[in-house]
Order: sequence, then structure tokens, then C-alpha cells
Amino acid sequence: MKRAICVIALVALLVTGVASARESSSLTVFAAASLSDAFPKIAPHATYSFAGSNTLAAQIRQGAPADVFASANMTLPNGLYKDHFCSKPVVFTRNRLVVIVPRSNPANVHTVYDLRRSGVKIVIAAQGVPVGSYTLQVLKNMNLTSVLSNVVSRESDVREVLAKVALNEADAGFVYSTDAKTVPGKVRVLRIPAWAQPKAQYGICIVSASAHKAAARAFVKRVMSKAGQKVLVRYGFLPRVKKG
Amino acid sequence: MQRWLQGALFFGASVVALLFLALPVIAIFTRVPPGRLVHLLSNPVVRDALVVSLKSTAIAEALILLFGTPLAYLLATRRFHGRALLITIVELPLVLPPAVAGIGLFAAFGRSGLFGSTLDALGLDIPFTLTAVVLAITLVASPLYVRTAIAAFEAVDRDLVAASRTLGAGPARTFFRVAFPLAGGGLAAGAALAFARALGEFGATIMFAGSLRGVTQTLPLAIYEQFSLDFDTAIAMGALLVVVSLALLLSLKLALSWQPSRQTSASLSAPSS
Repeated sequence: MKRAICVIALVALLVTGVASARESSSLTVFAAASLSDAFPKIAPHATYSFAGSNTLAAQIRQGAPADVFASANMTLPNGLYKDHFCSKPVVFTRNRLVVIVPRSNPANVHTVYDLRRSGVKIVIAAQGVPVGSYTLQVLKNMNLTSVLSNVVSRESDVREVLAKVALNEADAGFVYSTDAKTVPGKVRVLRIPAWAQPKAQYGICIVSASAHKAAARAFVKRVMSKAGQKVLVRYGFLPRVKKG
Repeated sequence: MQRWLQGALFFGASVVALLFLALPVIAIFTRVPPGRLVHLLSNPVVRDALVVSLKSTAIAEALILLFGTPLAYLLATRRFHGRALLITIVELPLVLPPAVAGIGLFAAFGRSGLFGSTLDALGLDIPFTLTAVVLAITLVASPLYVRTAIAAFEAVDRDLVAASRTLGAGPARTFFRVAFPLAGGGLAAGAALAFARALGEFGATIMFAGSLRGVTQTLPLAIYEQFSLDFDTAIAMGALLVVVSLALLLSLKLALSWQPSRQTSASLSAPSS
């Protein structure tokens, strides 16, 4: 009998423990993988989940316990806003695309146009990932869609693309200029002309189901503040409003 | 009173465990009407992923049987120093996180890996190809087969093997006519387990082989991609994999209930031609 009571008590403890696990953290921020380095510098005490923005948006739609969603485009947060999953998103920073090649440059890629050469192994992000659709826009703008036949993998977020080029396993990849800066010794950067750049605006919003609305608002305010913007610029992001 | 309570506790725990195991699978089917499963096969993304999955799994399975069976037989029948260590090496990928398997494959067969320059000299570039998918799933799935096969060979009556040898059959003949048929049920079970594991592999594949539709994107990778694009398609693909896995498991049960003793005693007593 005593043992039975012990077992019941243990089970009850486990169940309540599992049930309350979700409540323990303070502020949870779902942010685009490209923000992995900058965001913890802006707010070190928040809990972060970095991944492809599309994956994060899908998780929020399935009820993930996020308080803030910071996406690498406006389409995903606007979609969430339309379906009442988050507040109206605002632009908090911008970015631009570059082509990276491994330092040893095994395929001898020196300009974006070299990517057309057959046999160059290119890695890009999948279509639903913001940087994936930006990549397609760049290729369309430069009349280079034939490059797509050299793509050997479509990765789930920008950091996967970065890793595969930095590892020297792929010959080239499309990433944000901010990602290229995080592995300076491992990759070379090829610029993409300004006229071919997509409008890469990052949107931030507060998740409707958030239990920490005040903390979430404070986080967004901090990102938009002068100090927050300064950190982003230091990591190579562009000011949220285009100058001039 | 005490006994009643104990019974209730066991019953309650069993119900919780059963529900927990069954619910996710049942939940998938509540969201996918059966008609959609058929309709799903007309979706080119799904069809491509299914082809890549079946192709890579079939090749991996052939490799696992071809190389794993002799290994399992040797490990089961020979006693030598370091045998336990070898078995541990065989079992390791089973408990290794798939992401570690993926990193390991890069370190071994990647362009800057251990054999990178050798493979390069041979003109072989493995990452991001179907070969990479096959290597990833073979690495992760083969321990399931080899482990089961070792147990199956160990369960073979040694007297029968010894009798075969004293009656003049060589090691190869003894293997094919005695040990292999006697272990057949266990081998088939191991093969089915490895097949199911190979079909479901995700982590090592997405790291080492990447994900490209029609080339390296297997069903689990396609589900992952569709999760953020179109949840309904993702869940329908999940249902498809459940059906395939269920069919595999049922054939596994059939293989296990196959009675090797009856079969073999019949074939042993049958006049040899």
C-alpha cells in the first residue's frame, strides 16, 4: 500500500512537472537563423529559437510557445498577422545577398556569372525560406536562372548553406552578407550588384498567444532603439530605413 | 483492497502508455481522409520523394544484407579476443545521434574528409548525391540488421552445424544449407527492421546528402520541407509513411511467426537431390 502511494505521488509529480515545463522560461524569441549572432547581443537573457523563418512561422501556427517572431522577410509575419497569429509586423532591419565560395575556391568561381559553368556545385536555401526566395529573385534579376541546374541541395535555413560552403563541401552558395562575416577565414565573398538585390526587409511582431506581452513589447522596442540598431549595424545589417 | 489497487495501477499505467503510443498515429489519420492518400500520389513532390526513398532504401538494404550477413555469422560463431569490442562498434551507430553520423560521414567521405583526396582522384564526389543518401541510411540502419542476425545465428543449434561438418559439408555449404535456413526468420525480422529504419532516416541524410527534389530528397526530408510550406501535404505524406511502416511491421511479424524448426526438419528429412 505504501509503495502504491509512492508510485502515485511520483506519477503526479512527473505529470505536473511536464505540464509546468512550458511556463518556466521568461521571454521566448523565434528568430531567423541569420540573427543568431546579433540578437543575443541585443537581449542576452531571452530564450532564442533560431531556424528558417518559414519553419518558425509554421511552428507558431501549430501553437509553439513563442512571444516574439523576427522573420527575414515581411511575407511570413504578414501572413501570421492576417490569420491573427501575431501583431502587425514592422520592419526592423534589412540585409543584402552575397555569393560565397570556400577559401580554396575549388571551382574557380570569381563572379556571379561563373556560377553558370557546368559542374559547379551550388547550395541554396529552399524556396519557402526567405533567403531561398531572395536567391531566386537575384537570379531572375540577373537573367541567370540557368544557374539553378547546378544546385545540388536546397537547405532549410541560411546557416546550413553557410556551413556547407565553409566546410568546403559545396563550391558556392547564396547567403546574407551578415552570415558571410561570421566565418571570415573560411569563405570568400563575391558581391551581387545593387541593381540585382532583392528588397530583403526583416519583420518583427508579437505573437498573439504570448503570455508575456509586456516583455515582448519591451524586446521589440529594444530592437528598434538606437542601441539595438547599432548592434545590428555592427553585425553588418542595414538600417531599417533606407537613407536618402 | 490492496490487490485491487495494484491491479488498477497496472491497468491505468498500461492505458496511458498505449494511448500515448497510438495517439500521434491516430491523430494523423483524423486529419487525412483516405481518399487524399491516393490523390497525394499525383503530387509530383511526393512521387519524386517516394522514388528517391524506395531507390535508396532498396540499395542500402541490399548492401546491408550482402555485407552484414557474413559479419553477423562470424561474430555469432567465432569466439576471439576483441569480439565484444567489435560488437560494440557494430551497435554504436544505433545509439549515435543521427546528426553525429552525418558529421562523421562528412569527416570520412567529404571533400575535405579523410578519404576526400582519394575519392577526388577517382573522380568521385559523394556529398549531395544519391550515393550520399545510401551511405547515410546504411550507416544508421545496418546495426539493427546485424544485431538481430547475430542473435539469430547464435540461436542455431550448434549440434546441427557440427553434424553438417562431420558429415562432410564445407563451411560454405554448412552456412547455406544449415545455418542460413535455420536463422531465416530472425534474419528476415532484422532485414525488415533495418528497412523501416532506413526509410525513416532524417538527420544524417539532411546533413550529408542535402535535400534536392528528385535527387536526394527522401520522404522524411520532403515532409520536413512541406511542414512549413503546406501542412496538409506534410501530414498526408506522414500518413503514407505510417501505412508503409505498418505493412513492414506486419510482414516482420509474419517472418517471426514463421517456424524455422518445422521447415528445416522437413527439409532436412527430405531426400537431398
